[in-house]
Amino acid sequence: MSAVYTPKRLPPQLRQSSTTRAMMLDVIVALLPALGMAVFFFGPRVLALCAVSVASSVGFELLYRLLTRQSLSIGDLSACVTGLLLALSLPASTPFWVPVMGACFAVIVVKQFYGGLGRNFMNPALAGRMLAGTLPMLMTTWPQPMQRLSMTNPDAVSAATPMSFLHEGSLPPVSLDLMFLGRRGGCMGEISAFMLLLGLGYLLLRRVISARVPLSYLGTVAAIALLSAPAGVSPPVWTAYQLMGGGLLMGAIFFATDPATSPVTPRGQVMYGVGCGLLTVLLRGSSPYPEGVGWAILTMNCTVWLLDRLGLPRRFGIGNFAATRAVLARWLAELSKIKFVRPRLNLRIPKPREGQAPGEAYLDLLRALLKTVGPLAGVFAVTCAVVFGVHRFTDLNTARAEVQAQHKILTQAMPQAAVGVETPYRAAGAMSIIAGYDAEGHLLGYCVEVHSQGFAGPITMTVGVDLNGAVTGVAVNSHNETHRVGTAAMTSAALARYVGRSGTIRTSGPNSMDAVSGATATSKAITAGVNRALNIVANLDTSGEINYEDTQ
Amino acid sequence: MTHSFFGGVYPATRKGITRRKPMARLSQTSKEVVIPLVMCADGPATPMVRPGDPVTVGQPIARRGQTGAAAHASVSGRVIAIEDRPHPWGGRSPAIVIHNDDRSSPYPGNMPPLDPRQFTLEQMVERVAEAGIVGMGGGCFPTWEKIFRSAGKIDTLIVNAAECEPYVTSDYRLLLERGERILRGAQALSQCLQCERVVLVTEGDKLNAVEAVERRLRRSGGRVQILPVRTCYPLGAEKQIIQTVTGREVPPGGSPLDVKCAVFNVATVYAIHDALFMGRPLTHRAVTVTGGAVTRPRNLWVPIGTPLRHLLETCGGLREEADRMLIGGPMMGIALTDLNAPVTKDTNSLVCLTSWEHKPDIPSGVCIRCGKCVAACPMHLAPTIIRRALEEQDLDKLAKYHLEDCNACGCCSFICPAQIPLVETVASAAALLRRGVANR
Repeated sequence: MSAVYTPKRLPPQLRQSSTTRAMMLDVIVALLPALGMAVFFFGPRVLALCAVSVASSVGFELLYRLLTRQSLSIGDLSACVTGLLLALSLPASTPFWVPVMGACFAVIVVKQFYGGLGRNFMNPALAGRMLAGTLPMLMTTWPQPMQRLSMTNPDAVSAATPMSFLHEGSLPPVSLDLMFLGRRGGCMGEISAFMLLLGLGYLLLRRVISARVPLSYLGTVAAIALLSAPAGVSPPVWTAYQLMGGGLLMGAIFFATDPATSPVTPRGQVMYGVGCGLLTVLLRGSSPYPEGVGWAILTMNCTVWLLDRLGLPRRFGIGNFAATRAVLARWLAELSKIKFVRPRLNLRIPKPREGQAPGEAYLDLLRALLKTVGPLAGVFAVTCAVVFGVHRFTDLNTARAEVQAQHKILTQAMPQAAVGVETPYRAAGAMSIIAGYDAEGHLLGYCVEVHSQGFAGPITMTVGVDLNGAVTGVAVNSHNETHRVGTAAMTSAALARYVGRSGTIRTSGPNSMDAVSGATATSKAITAGVNRALNIVANLDTSGEINYEDTQ
Repeated sequence: MTHSFFGGVYPATRKGITRRKPMARLSQTSKEVVIPLVMCADGPATPMVRPGDPVTVGQPIARRGQTGAAAHASVSGRVIAIEDRPHPWGGRSPAIVIHNDDRSSPYPGNMPPLDPRQFTLEQMVERVAEAGIVGMGGGCFPTWEKIFRSAGKIDTLIVNAAECEPYVTSDYRLLLERGERILRGAQALSQCLQCERVVLVTEGDKLNAVEAVERRLRRSGGRVQILPVRTCYPLGAEKQIIQTVTGREVPPGGSPLDVKCAVFNVATVYAIHDALFMGRPLTHRAVTVTGGAVTRPRNLWVPIGTPLRHLLETCGGLREEADRMLIGGPMMGIALTDLNAPVTKDTNSLVCLTSWEHKPDIPSGVCIRCGKCVAACPMHLAPTIIRRALEEQDLDKLAKYHLEDCNACGCCSFICPAQIPLVETVASAAALLRRGVANR
């Protein structure tokens, strides 16, 4: 028993038993039930994918730390967690190179470039997954559950995920209990709500995460879903599907709670969860993609610095009311520092200097103004054009509407046809010629889009002609005719009179058609258009006036 | 109905080691007793004896200055030296060394007991000051000043028996075995301080006997509410116990008087009772000697000034190597540097930890921003954010984080999974801020 002891550690001498490594291990343990369910539904390929992902994550971390001569950090297991989360958020039919690419991006770019564990501002696994998600072929094939995939050649029969039904505002054809257990299409880890909730319970019991983020996240989504259920669907059922469909549970339990990329202050954590929930609902409802959890969490990751600042605990000994009042008073004081100065416009026309004509000084002013404002306006215009162009080419809703309108015209012009294919044929007077095929792929005829001069302007119409040269249907695409006068010749009954006619339709004599009374000019115009279409199709095979362009 | 405070941690209490062991007197008192002159936070006392003078139990041997507290001999014998001796707070400080003659002859000039039915505030303050009573929970501030200042200004008197420190059971045993005197002391205090409510906060159980005594005493001296609370560290801290009992928060830089409360440790209340109604100055106190390294852990009733080595030998010494020895519990306790240091008025325990009883010293890792320290801080601070600002040496940011509120309870260091010494971080940030503000 020596007399003098030297204190080895500063107080407190007791520490809680957990370490960073133990926390990471707990996250891995919490993921095991979901992993098990994925193996059960999709076969051992899931394990292989996870192994590849974990191995590449650890490998990239090791490689980076070795190359940059930093201390090795794979012992804290955070790279394993990243790899496992990345793999579990991919579909089971993913090729093996995708998790490798995702892990490279996640570990090197997102995590290590920012200084390693605890310094990254975005969740590495989620960033890697969203990078992989930008590959178009990946995120469109969702293997069906209970269809064990082959190791090397995963020929997945694509199954629609519940989210794509919910996106359209209808309930998916999976019962709630099967959703709960996980028999549905989706990413490997996210399918089973039950197993994910088991993981949540484990993490909460082990105090690895606090309940603030997951509860506020899920609570926000649930509250909005309850209020916004579509007509005819019971709100609780709709809410349950919204909570269990897609990656919401996985995101709320494993991605949003990542300590490094969520706020440290309790109030900040609640705000973060609510923000994630609001963004998720917004992205699910109003974006062309059915799921929005990933982008919602990544977006909120970028606001963590602000939430930390906003969520600082109020000072001990100062009540909530007094604290709020102090903040408001400070803001008011800062606002009152701003002085509003009335802008003074110099509207006087400058006087001409010596030797200048009277208007010349004004022109000089304008020239100077143009020099400053011109580039600005130019940049503004270019930006607007780019934004509009990007919107125009990427807006799926517009594209979808166009396709739908085209389909409608096709069914009107050629009701028997199932598929319309644009042909490379060009003919004078025809804007486009579409070949119509039935479901077995037999050619049925051609739809010709033609112009015709109507009473009040050009009429664009599509005329379907079968292989015998008979009209199968007429559709008017656009016109300027007077409502209730000219349009009398465009009713379906009026247009149906053309069906079965062939040759040249006249106004009197054989093969004639009476004009609709009161819309004579329009009737004549439509008949002329039909005749032109019949003529084009009749001459399609003779190489007379038809220009055949082979674009292939 | 109790309120709760924000944060807090739940360390393994391990109070079971000594919880059931009755308080024992030393079978043999130490041959040499060392009474340090520094036993009060307000400064040292002045010796009134010289080497060679005979002393008896309870004889005043050091006088207080304008503030501070007096010191009394806790054994009878002869003063052999007034010299620098090791002090449990660290380092060495002047002390009166008494050679014990084992006769325990009482001091003849003791104060006569007061009549419990009629005494004045002035009498009480005088008695408490003469008896050399200080805050025995670790604060070490003179109790007479606290009584004097809070008289008539409080509505709630809190008797703090909530030993939130793990391992320590001295207050619990004291309450269990000397409950009646403590309740009488609390009643006397409430009478003098004119408060409406007296609350005895305790984390212990099996308090039926104490409650029975309370019911008996209620008729004569007024009610003492016995409030059992759930164990949560740092419940025993002054601000947190006030918040738990009344829901009021002591304003920043303020004292409990600002929220009309006064908190007295249970051992202090016991000492006040003895000084008022038994005429005894503060010469003895309860000490828990515990920890996995101690052969026979127990609660002891010891004369103040007994060297800690003697306490440890009474308990059978160490059965295995003690990794560290602590005065006053493992959370906020001071690591002992010298076993020859004596028991002072605020020493409630000697904890000898073995290496397997606590987490090994592993180097601190990187912060993963888990936020547990923010959720654990009972003073509403954000240690990890403070640490980040300290790394950046950003004084403007640090000035916004209320660093002076830190009460060094250690919850943040305790909870940190990366072993970052956050208490020191906050302390050094506060020091940097003070320096930085001074340089400006």
